[in-house]
Amino acid sequence: MPQLNPAPWFTILMFSWLIFLTVIPPKILAHTFPNEPTHQSTEKPKTDPWAWPWH
Amino acid sequence: MTLSFFDQFMSPTLLGIPLIALALTLPWVLFPKPSSRWLNNRVLTLQSWFINGFAQQIFQPINQEGHKWAALLTSLMIFLITLNMLGLLPYTFTPTTQLSMNMAFAVPLWLATVIIGMRNQPTHALAHLLPEGTPTPLIPILIMIETISLFIRPLALGVRLTANLTAGHLLIQLIATAALVLLPLMPTVAILTGALLLMLTLLEVAVAMIQAYVFVLLLSLYLQENV
Repeated sequence: MPQLNPAPWFTILMFSWLIFLTVIPPKILAHTFPNEPTHQSTEKPKTDPWAWPWH
Repeated sequence: MTLSFFDQFMSPTLLGIPLIALALTLPWVLFPKPSSRWLNNRVLTLQSWFINGFAQQIFQPINQEGHKWAALLTSLMIFLITLNMLGLLPYTFTPTTQLSMNMAFAVPLWLATVIIGMRNQPTHALAHLLPEGTPTPLIPILIMIETISLFIRPLALGVRLTANLTAGHLLIQLIATAALVLLPLMPTVAILTGALLLMLTLLEVAVAMIQAYVFVLLLSLYLQENV
């Protein structure tokens, strides 16, 4: 099986880690997500019921 | 004859350029860097959804300390899934069929999780070697078995990805050759083989995505144990 040829193993290791560490994380980290995740609270929000007519 | 089917996995070169270099550098043009605009285009939005959803999904069961690995594991997921999926196109080289590359990722990352566990909480990390409630006479042999299973993890991780993708590509090549050879001889059988090839290709698309996910998921599980 040609994959088991040990000749290019180190080169492949170095090159793939180089790409993996330099190219991809900046692209991934540049994605920003504007909303902060909020904890869902178990208490219902204290709001007054609808007390005025529709129109 | 059979050996020549493996030739597709040899690290190919074109005019002296190893194609694995091209296969590793060019796919990232498909992932443009988002601008500072509030609303991006469709491609970027979809990628954003994927990255966010994936990160949430993977890191939900891991405690706060493990979240330092978010950038690394998300990058790894994008890396693997892109390479796997692009490898299904005709005439492309799939770097993840190379055992060298998969072991290059599996061994250091697994080792990192083990070292983190041994440094921060050595007792807890070593406790994984002995399941709770083991009968006393079984303890020595069980510790040996658990140690072996610990050291087999990076091997399994690398070989799983390699073998799945290699086998998939090999099957596609074999069945495509069969369909081509049968076409002048028995057209009906050739068409059925073609239908089989279509279904196999769909399977390979699924396998490409699942194998990338499994690789990263298992690493996150090893992290969860040790962090």
